[in-house]
Amino acid sequence: MTTSLFFVQLINGLQYGLLLFLIASGLTLVFGVMGILNLAHGSMFMVGAYLAWYFFEHTGSFGISALISAAIALLIGIAMERGLIRHLYRRNHLDQVLLTIGMIFVFNALQSLLWGNDPLGVPVPQALSGAIPLNDVLEYPIYRIFVALLCIAIAFVMYYMINKTRLGMLIRAGESNREMVECLGIDIRRLYTIVFAIGVMLAAIAGVASAPMSSIMPGMGEHVLITCFVVVVIGGMGSIKGAFVAALLVGLVDTFSSVLVPQISSMMIYILMAFILLIKPQGLFSS
Amino acid sequence: MLFNKRTERIFIWVFFPLALLLPLFLEQNTFYVSKLTSIMIFALFVMSLDYLVGRCGLITLGHAMFYGLGGYLFWMLAPEYTEVNFWVYTFYVCMIAAAIALVIGFLVLRTSGIYMIMITLAFAQMAFYFFSDSIEFGGNDGLFIYMKPETSIFGLSLFDLDNPIHFYYLCLLSLFNTLVFFKLLIRSRFGRVVDAIHQNPGRTTALGYNIFMFRLMSYVIASALGAYAGYLFTLQYGFVNPSMLAWTTSGSALVMSILGGMGSIYGAILGTFVYEGLHYGLEHLTEHWMLFMGILIIAMVMVFKNGIAGYLEKLLEKRS
Repeated sequence: MTTSLFFVQLINGLQYGLLLFLIASGLTLVFGVMGILNLAHGSMFMVGAYLAWYFFEHTGSFGISALISAAIALLIGIAMERGLIRHLYRRNHLDQVLLTIGMIFVFNALQSLLWGNDPLGVPVPQALSGAIPLNDVLEYPIYRIFVALLCIAIAFVMYYMINKTRLGMLIRAGESNREMVECLGIDIRRLYTIVFAIGVMLAAIAGVASAPMSSIMPGMGEHVLITCFVVVVIGGMGSIKGAFVAALLVGLVDTFSSVLVPQISSMMIYILMAFILLIKPQGLFSS
Repeated sequence: MLFNKRTERIFIWVFFPLALLLPLFLEQNTFYVSKLTSIMIFALFVMSLDYLVGRCGLITLGHAMFYGLGGYLFWMLAPEYTEVNFWVYTFYVCMIAAAIALVIGFLVLRTSGIYMIMITLAFAQMAFYFFSDSIEFGGNDGLFIYMKPETSIFGLSLFDLDNPIHFYYLCLLSLFNTLVFFKLLIRSRFGRVVDAIHQNPGRTTALGYNIFMFRLMSYVIASALGAYAGYLFTLQYGFVNPSMLAWTTSGSALVMSILGGMGSIYGAILGTFVYEGLHYGLEHLTEHWMLFMGILIIAMVMVFKNGIAGYLEKLLEKRS
């Protein structure tokens, strides 16, 4: 492998890892705070991508479309939590699994009902098209770099929100002791609604961001879901820092293994996960 | 009494006689016979998962690995163009699957809860890509089984696997035997200890039981039966392919088991038949069957606290 090829793969891996972090962070946040295993998380990634396509077709601007899509995702998140998930907090994890699998069915059906089953595509926005030359022959698309920077920015915002703001303090408190937070007169139900909606929105934003990079098609949610579970588990359930490290690790391993060991590249991230869990059964950064 | 709940007895007295008589009415329609056969095979698979998840508290999302292995092992062991004996190969397939389960169980049972769900998924995905990425195993298309086994014992051939009605009864018998087997297992000394581990692992350890060994044995038993179900599936359709080991197969089995009523064992049959029945019925009514299926699943979670079996028990036991 030449140095320049190595460098391109490195950026590819990091960029993929950052996108994975964006999706996985919502999943791990919802699990860490609320103890809910949301299997419909991948569906929200898909919904984000489809909404981005739909509003791009109607407004012609990717920026406006992204904002509307994120807002709609937030509303869907609130509706999901208020309408359904809220009633299952006291039931076991398996009932939540069943509920969210039911949601996957509904989202998939709505997707094929509203937008059909043909793959769709969104063009890269004008302002971010083009590529940065790396050397004489290789270049790297600006849009991908933009997405990577966006993910880093969101990671910082989340870090700030959780560690420095009042809302973040409540989230951390709710994570360690739900009853105590309630006793202090804080409406934990509203807090849960907010956390769940933010989690859903993060997945949808990732879907919006990846819409111009890959084709939008049925089943894209399920594939992402499994990879994100790998990330979340390697990082330690509920740990955002862990999800960040694990997402980069998975992104790099996946990218490099498809170049170096193509025969077993699809197996690599699972081998990585099994290996890590056998050494550290609670993941890298378990709380 | 082996079946100690009234609801359970009613279900068994309704289901099995009905299933016994059904082929007499469906003689003309082999499609329904083979459809019901495949549902019963899957119910057997769901039952083995139900024992693991509901009775032992070991939640796995990798059970489909053994379902697929049941098929692939048969392909690997049996010579391609020679007729082999059904019983001998049932033994081989189950024993090798059990040996594999012993190794994998030894690794995965060191974790628990959500981490165990994920590590079982990891092993199942490895197996999935192992078979779907390799040319020797037919890749994504899978493999065909050209010769179905013969079924003689001591020279006496009881039935013919090529006959759909015979195969139907073989699967019904297998399902009934598995149900009775699990019921006996749960009632045995071994089952009592497993139950105690499920309720309170710490206290059971304090009583001097090696809880790891009990969990490992349960995992091996359930996995071998899961492989048997996969082996029956392969014999029914004459092929094996990687989608048998896909995580969605484990996922839908888990859904059926929760739907039926976790840990009730007979609920696995209920869950599988209700799920597959709805799937089949809705698919014929509308192209967008998934929408109604999803809504029904959501509604059932909201209404039934312990699955369909739990709901029926509440309904029937109160009146008695």
